Amino acid sequence: MKQMGCEHENRVLRAMRSGQWTAELRRHASGCADCSEAMRVAMALQAEARRSEMQCHPPHPDWILERSRQLAREAAVRRMSRLLKAMRILAAIYAMAAGVWLVHGFAALSYREIASSLHGPSSHFALLGAIVTAAFVSAGLWPILREDSKRHGFGSGR
Amino acid sequence: MDEAGMIAGWAAPGYQTATAGEEGFRQLYEATSRPLWGYLYHASGRADVADDLLQETYCRFLARRAPAMDGAQVKSYLFRIATNLLHDRFHSRDEKAGQEPGECGVERDEDARLDVQAAMRQLKPRERELLWLAYVEGMSHTEIAAATGLSALSIRMLLYRARRKAAQILRPPETRA
Repeated sequence: MKQMGCEHENRVLRAMRSGQWTAELRRHASGCADCSEAMRVAMALQAEARRSEMQCHPPHPDWILERSRQLAREAAVRRMSRLLKAMRILAAIYAMAAGVWLVHGFAALSYREIASSLHGPSSHFALLGAIVTAAFVSAGLWPILREDSKRHGFGSGR
Repeated sequence: MDEAGMIAGWAAPGYQTATAGEEGFRQLYEATSRPLWGYLYHASGRADVADDLLQETYCRFLARRAPAMDGAQVKSYLFRIATNLLHDRFHSRDEKAGQEPGECGVERDEDARLDVQAAMRQLKPRERELLWLAYVEGMSHTEIAAATGLSALSIRMLLYRARRKAAQILRPPETRA
């Protein structure tokens, strides 16, 4: 397999950057075609780097910090929006399922069966639980639906 | 304070508080923004792209910076972000890097500059990146591997080929084979 470059190339380049040459390394660099070529390319690129640095006018670091904060805020808002959207979908599914259950469940029962089932402490707890749940769901849905109706201009005539 | 000191200052544990972090960032930025811009400019061939990606690199750095990095790792990490952004840009916009060099206020009155710029244009983006990191930034093969996402073993071969190609292009016309 053909050897790729000279094994001393990295040492030569380091010495070139630091200026710390040993006599042996300098002798080697002047006689080695690979190292000479690497030095020539490195010198050309480093000269170009120095020239182009004068063209560089980076923005103030405070501007970068402010932009970074703004991007972080936007990312947080996006995350929260996704969460709210998921909660909204879940709430809607729950409300629909509860509605369907109420309509079908109570329609299948006759009044007498309902009345007979509503006695004793267990039925009171069940009713209380259902009322509290409905109240919480309504309280959660109300501001969301109100915000939606405002955003979409429902009822505003626009 | 020298470049290594500034970067190490940023990487020190004190950066965790907001004020210390901002001051550390300012020092890091002073130490690294120009070399990073030079890398982005020569790898992309366009000053406007370098300006955009420089800002994006630091914003991503601030958003994602992993804790407990030393100075060399911070620098490598910055170049890694910049390299990824360059690749994203090339892929998403199907840009041919370096097709329009010199359009953004680049002076054209220096022969040497033109020679190097012309040579860079003839190289592939990956070759430009490797040459710049190795010969301008003085990174080791391991550091270049960390910055580019390539394996350290392939760096040696790719860098050798890129250097041969660049040397051939930079050679004066009368000495070319």
